[in-house]
Amino acid sequence: MHISDGVLPTSVAVGTYAAALVVAGWSARKTKGEDLPKIAVVTSAFFVASLIHVPIGPTSVHLLLPGLVGILLGPSGFISIALGLVLQSLLFQFGGITALGANSLMMGLPALASWGLFRLMKGDSLTRYIVSAAFAGGFGVLLAASILALLLAISGEDFIGVAKLAIYAHLPVVVIEAAISAFSVSFLYKVKPELLGVALPAAS
Amino acid sequence: MEPRAEAIRYPLFALLLWGGGAVLAVCLAAAVFRALKARRERLRQFQDDAAPRDWSEPAIDASAHLDSPFHRWDPRVKIVSLLFFIFCVASLARLSTGAAAIGLGLAAARTARIPWSRSFRRLGAMAGFLLMLLIVTPLTAPIHPGDPVVVFEHLEFLPINLRGFFPAGLVCVKAIAIALLMEPLVGTSPLANTMEALAQIGAPRKVGEMILLAHRYVFVFRHEAQRMATSMEVRGFRKRTDMETLRATGNFIGMLLVRSFDRTQRVYEAMLSRGYGETTRSHVAFTARKIDWVKGAFWIAAGVALLVVDHFRGA
Repeated sequence: MHISDGVLPTSVAVGTYAAALVVAGWSARKTKGEDLPKIAVVTSAFFVASLIHVPIGPTSVHLLLPGLVGILLGPSGFISIALGLVLQSLLFQFGGITALGANSLMMGLPALASWGLFRLMKGDSLTRYIVSAAFAGGFGVLLAASILALLLAISGEDFIGVAKLAIYAHLPVVVIEAAISAFSVSFLYKVKPELLGVALPAAS
Repeated sequence: MEPRAEAIRYPLFALLLWGGGAVLAVCLAAAVFRALKARRERLRQFQDDAAPRDWSEPAIDASAHLDSPFHRWDPRVKIVSLLFFIFCVASLARLSTGAAAIGLGLAAARTARIPWSRSFRRLGAMAGFLLMLLIVTPLTAPIHPGDPVVVFEHLEFLPINLRGFFPAGLVCVKAIAIALLMEPLVGTSPLANTMEALAQIGAPRKVGEMILLAHRYVFVFRHEAQRMATSMEVRGFRKRTDMETLRATGNFIGMLLVRSFDRTQRVYEAMLSRGYGETTRSHVAFTARKIDWVKGAFWIAAGVALLVVDHFRGA
């Protein structure tokens, strides 16, 4: 879920913009200059993947994928996510243009955190990769939901109830994203391990 | 203070009556909308079945070829003044000034000559979030002394705080006003020109380049994803609530990423071979004439005026 225009007080909207710009600047410095256009193209793929809906019972949720972005792009994940959110806002109005900073922090910081978690946990076996991907994927969504709730709660005491509901509503998404991240990483491990930074055997 | 003391009580059947009425109204609206859409689809098929469209979402700048005061406006002045106005609207605290902003938004969308369906699509994308706010806020807003509270018989545990409609309604009004301005802002120039204007205003040139690239490849990968989804369906895959669906979707995303990372490398090499990164060339020259500044001044003045009225009227 993305915050629309008009929710955040102007001070919060401007403040989160500034904070997001600082983090995006750090993220861009951590990225090699020649990699920036590649990040842009890969962002399109994540953008399309996040449009996939997964059914839960009678309804369905769309994927958020901060965990997977973090696992695959590392520190560059933040600019990728910010870029994706700019596109979502300009193309579909998912997330308001004044809330772009807040939404970038909400999805981008979990991507960075998931990257850190994945790096700490992944060992050198497929099982370890799968387990840490599940944790990173689930944790990414949980953190995103918590930041969303925090932003809603500081927007006014009337929205505290909405903030709590937002956390509960994201719990099934946590499970789904954990599973999807685990399956995707398992697939990549077998098909194209260099994307995950897996050391290739000398023969290849 | 006992919050329920001043609650307005209604019997349960009133809720059923209102709720039933609301559901009926929504169903009616949906039926009318679907009928209109089906009619338009039939008309479109009739008109241009020779030109099949290969993507379902139109590009950001799909209407950039039209002509209007917004299209003729220097994009640099347009971006700065409209963004300023948008932030003013986001700062409003009254429904009345918010409604005035919606009026300006409608006028802008009309003047920009962009098909209404584009603006309605934007409003539709926000509908879920805004409806959730409108329903949840009155049910969960903390009850202060003096708040108008409605309680239904047998539903005493769920008091409805009518004051909650105000913050939620305010968000809806502001979000709608801003969404109406998005098409005049980004839909009235080719995206490349908008990005060039951003760079001339002072944004890093790389940012614009990345937005252009990502926007371009969204459609390429979307096409690819649709082909993959079709082939999965042909082989009998149906989405369900089970582990198998999650496994298939995880593999689907993995495959999409493998293909896109491979493609990214080829795209980058193709860009290099065409001289990417050697010179920073600017392919359009903008000239801000008097009329461009007048338009800019109008929107900035409108934003300030809304803020002033919002802040001081009745204070």
